Formats: sequence, C-alpha cells, structure tokens
Amino acid sequence: MKKLLCCFVLCLSQFAMAEKALHLFNWNDYIAEDTVTRFEALCDCKVVQDYFSATEEMMAKLLAGGGDYDVVIPTQNAVEALVKQGFLMPLDKSKLSNIGNSAAGYMNKAYDPGNVYSLPYAFTTTLIGYNENKIAELGIDPADWSIIFDPAVLTKIKGKVTVMDDVEELFGAALKYLGYSINDTDEKHLKEAQAVILKAKPYWAAFNSSSYIKELTVGNIWVAHGYSSDMFQARADAAEAKRDFTVNFVLPKQGAVLALDNMVIPKKARSPELAHMFINFMMDPQNAAELTTIVGTGNPNAAATPFIDEDILKITAIFPTPELQAKLETVAARNAKERRLANKLWTEIKVR
Amino acid sequence: MNRAERLRNHLMALPPALYLLLFFAVPSVMMLFASFRYPGEYGGLAPWYYIEDGQLSLDFTLENWLRLFESGIYLGLLFKSLGYALLTTLICTIMAYPLALMIARSQKRFRDLLLLLVILPFWSNFLVRIYAWMIIFSPQGALTIGLNHVTGALGLEPISLMFSSTAVITCLVYVHLPFMILPLYANLEKHDNRLLDAAQDLGANRFQCFWLITWPQSLPGIYAGAILVFIPSLGIFAIPDLLGGTNGIMIGNVIKQQFVESRDWPFGSVLSLVLTGITLLLVLLAAKLGKTGGANSGT
Repeated sequence: MKKLLCCFVLCLSQFAMAEKALHLFNWNDYIAEDTVTRFEALCDCKVVQDYFSATEEMMAKLLAGGGDYDVVIPTQNAVEALVKQGFLMPLDKSKLSNIGNSAAGYMNKAYDPGNVYSLPYAFTTTLIGYNENKIAELGIDPADWSIIFDPAVLTKIKGKVTVMDDVEELFGAALKYLGYSINDTDEKHLKEAQAVILKAKPYWAAFNSSSYIKELTVGNIWVAHGYSSDMFQARADAAEAKRDFTVNFVLPKQGAVLALDNMVIPKKARSPELAHMFINFMMDPQNAAELTTIVGTGNPNAAATPFIDEDILKITAIFPTPELQAKLETVAARNAKERRLANKLWTEIKVR
Repeated sequence: MNRAERLRNHLMALPPALYLLLFFAVPSVMMLFASFRYPGEYGGLAPWYYIEDGQLSLDFTLENWLRLFESGIYLGLLFKSLGYALLTTLICTIMAYPLALMIARSQKRFRDLLLLLVILPFWSNFLVRIYAWMIIFSPQGALTIGLNHVTGALGLEPISLMFSSTAVITCLVYVHLPFMILPLYANLEKHDNRLLDAAQDLGANRFQCFWLITWPQSLPGIYAGAILVFIPSLGIFAIPDLLGGTNGIMIGNVIKQQFVESRDWPFGSVLSLVLTGITLLLVLLAAKLGKTGGANSGT
C-alpha cells in the first residue's frame, strides 16, 4: 500500500513538473539553445517552443484562437495589431527589474507608447545572403536589390536564388528596388512592384522563408533573400562545416526592411508569472548579448554591448552605419483594405 | 422486404448519413455562407449584418465569386492541379497493377508479408518521407549529379530536379501508390482462377486471358483506387509547398494561403467550394463507371 502511495505521489509530482512550462512562440532560429537551457535551470521549468517564419502566419494562428502561449515575439507592426485587438496583457513593470537596460532609442515607439504591452527583444534587417565565391566569380554586386529582381543579373544565377515567402518582405524589397517606401500604399506603385516580382519569378528556385539557411550552407542556393540573423547563422554553419566556399551577407544600398521584434504576453497566457520572469531574463545584458553573439541579431539592449565581440559590432548588416540606418524602414500596420489589395497581388504572383 | 427489415436498413444507414451531414454538408453550407461575406479586419469574417438607427442592413457581396472569374489564373491553376492529380492517378495505376497482380497470384503464405511491405512506408511520418525526397532531389544529391553527368555527356543543359513539377508529381505518386495497390489487390485476389483455366482450355493465349478475363473484372478495383489517389492528390499542399518551387504550386496551396497568410476566408471558401464541386462530379462519374464495370464482370 505504501509503495502504491509512493508511486501515486511520484506520478503527481511528475505531473506537477510537467505542468510548469513556459510556452514560447518565436521566430525560427531566434534564440540560442544555451540561453534556453539556462532559463530552464533558473525557473525550474521547461521551455516549450513553437516557431513561425512569417508575421502573417503568426497572426493567423493567434487570431484563429490557436495556442495559449505565455510569450510571443511579434514584429512591431504585429504588436500594433495585437494591441488593437485587445489580445495582449499589460506588462507588470514591477516584475521587470532589468527594464532599464533597454536602449532608449528602441523604447516608447509609436506602435506601443510607453511600452505598456511590449519590450524590445532584438532587431533584424532583411537582406541578401550569398555564396561569396560564386558571386565574386560571376562579378555580381550583391549590395543591390537587382541581384534578386533584375533579369539581366538573374540569368547568371537562374535557379540558384530563393526569396522570402512573405508578402511584406518581398513587396518591401521590390518597392525599395523601385525607389519607393516599403509602406507605400499607392495601388499603382504596388502593381509596379508586382510586375517586377513577376518578371523575376521564373529565375527564382523557390519562395522560401524557413530553410534557406540550410540551402545556402549546403551550396544548393547561391543567393537568398532573408533575415540578417539567419544569414549570420548560415555563414557560421558554412565555416563550421568547412565548405569550400564562404557565405556572407550585405544590406542592399537602396535600403531594406528593419524588423524590431518584441516580447509580449497574450491575455490568455497560462503562466504570466513565468512569462514576466522570461522577459526579465532576456533583458539581462549577458542573455541579451547572446542573441547577437550566437543568433546574430541586432541588439536593442544598451547594457549588452560590452558583452559583444567587436568583430560583430563592426558588421554593418547587423549594426548598420547611420547612413544605411536612414534607409531602413519598419513595416507599418496595414488597414484591412490595404492588406486585401496586397494579398490579392501576392496571390496572383503565386498562382501565375 | 417486410417492415422490420426496412426499418433495420434505415437504421443502418443512419450513422453514415449523420456523419456526412455533420462533417460534409454542414461545413459546406457554412463555407457557402462565408463565400458571400467580407473578410474581417484581422482575419475571420466581417459581421454579415449591421444595425444602424434601428435599421437592419445586410452586408453580403458577390465580389469573392467574381474574383474567381476576373482573370483566368485561378481556373488555370485548377486545371493544372487536375492535370497533376490525373497524371498521378495514371502513373499509380500503371505502377500498381503489375504489383497487385503479382501479390494476388503469389502463394498465400507470402501475401501477407508482401502487403505488409506495401504499407511499411506508412510507419514513418509523411513529412519525414518528403524531406528524404528533398535530399534525393537536391542539386548536391547523387541522383542529380549522376543525371547531369549523363546530360553533360550528351551536351545538354544541366537539369535541376528540386523545385520542379517533376519533383511534385514523383512525390505525389510515391505517397499515394499504396492507396492504388490495396484496393486493386483486394479486387484481384477475389478473381476466380477457374475462369482463366477455362479460357486457356478454349484456346485463349495469355494476353487474351488477361485482356478478356482479368482486366474487365479488375475495373472496379481500379476505379476505387483511382478515387483514393485522385482526391487527396488534388487537394494536397504540403508536397508542392516543399518541392514545387515557384512554379509547381497547386490549388491546395492557394486555398491554404487564403485561410492562413492572407486571412481571406471568403475567397478561400470560394476556391474550396469549387474544388469540392469538381471532386464530387468526378466521384459520381467514377462511381457510375465502377457500376457498369462491375456489371460487365458479372460479379
């Protein structure tokens, strides 16, 4: 009987342990494993991660009622939409002692004045990752959007290019290539962007937002349109695998999309306590620094800078020069009508 | 038939009828309703009525249906997808027939083992199997490199298998082949071998035996298998998503895109309904053909 009881208690405690978990909904490849392990040790809980590779994908899942996540890492425009939807829980600042570490330049932004619901996590730019050897061999300038849009350039790398499977990112890049703002809502300009994309599409291998790191590192693809942090990883992976080529990345000179990703807590969160603990943990300078040194993101944490290698601080694609910074834009939240138009043009691109 | 028997038959038909009502008719009606509405601001659907100053006004639209015909691209993609599914069904039939026949004609003690081998791939996850194909098709894979040695020797352009419609159809066939083999085997296994003996006695050669005896009898099996292969391959989106690249997508991808990324449920409903309609028509056709086939075989 005693044995049975022991068993029962053990089972219960197992159950209790299993129950203590932080459910994190994050971009793929957007947190270092070491960081997660350390948080698990600190909170004595498990971190259960789900991933997304596009803002629209994340929004669709959240708004369809999917997943009671404790912490989500949405980009600025998604924060705005989620706030408007009443989807988020106001942050309890008394539980966030590290809040002072965030750089003032990334706080109190228009999408969440006073940081009521969100705190900055990391930032990335959307740029060009490329196989250095091949692109040098072919004499192509990678620091120009023409590398993915101009058929004259693309004929040299046909079938070796992937672009993002993401309406905002791809239209953003095409609009920049045409010299417009990424938030241009003029139907005429959007149609011009659509025409640019359609002309380039036959030269692309695929729309790919999730596996271009691998494709670049293996050498299947020579040019990929994607996030700076992903390209940072592709470069490291290729070096680690001792490939006979190197991967590099660069911001196109016309400018690009800047994504400021934030930590938020949904109202439906199962353990807000753990969620606050996680957010505070991620604002610790050393943990925040790991986002840059391991994952390769830009860092909105001012206190983290001393923990970051100088070599990384010098990479202008991660920490852009003021001159380049001026050409970066964040995506604004679109209203329903604008979104419908963009999605219609996007669907037509996919179908054609 | 007496009354009790009739009652029993009605009761027997009740569960499947309920199932169809609950999981087919009701959702279809819901989608039909959705297809005349506007998408919501942040996904979902916009309200279909407003009350202003005590006045009720309805908010329905034909826009979503008109968009289908606005340009030919959606119907074009639908035909392309039908073509892919048809080709898949055809290749599956050609590949499955000899195999099913061989299993049905093999000794009884081997049959279970052979059938088990057919179902074996189901033991690993569908996506894992597709990823395996991605490795096989990759430009660095042995298959592509080998093929390009051949094309190079012949002085042709190097080919790329990954991200192509060839890759999509290969995987569609690979995934759906067992669904053709199993019903075909079930049919072939039941054939009365004495018919073949009798035909031979009467002087038929092997080809005549097959063409006049086995083939007509196996048609219901082919129709059953064809439905099981054709319908899932018509609506699939995972395979073209992973292997199709920029040109190999199918109607399923666009439907998924409407419901997920674009958050345009109404247009997604329009496309789904069209697909359901076409599928239903084709199933009715196959069912009719299957019946006549069955009558011919005299079983």
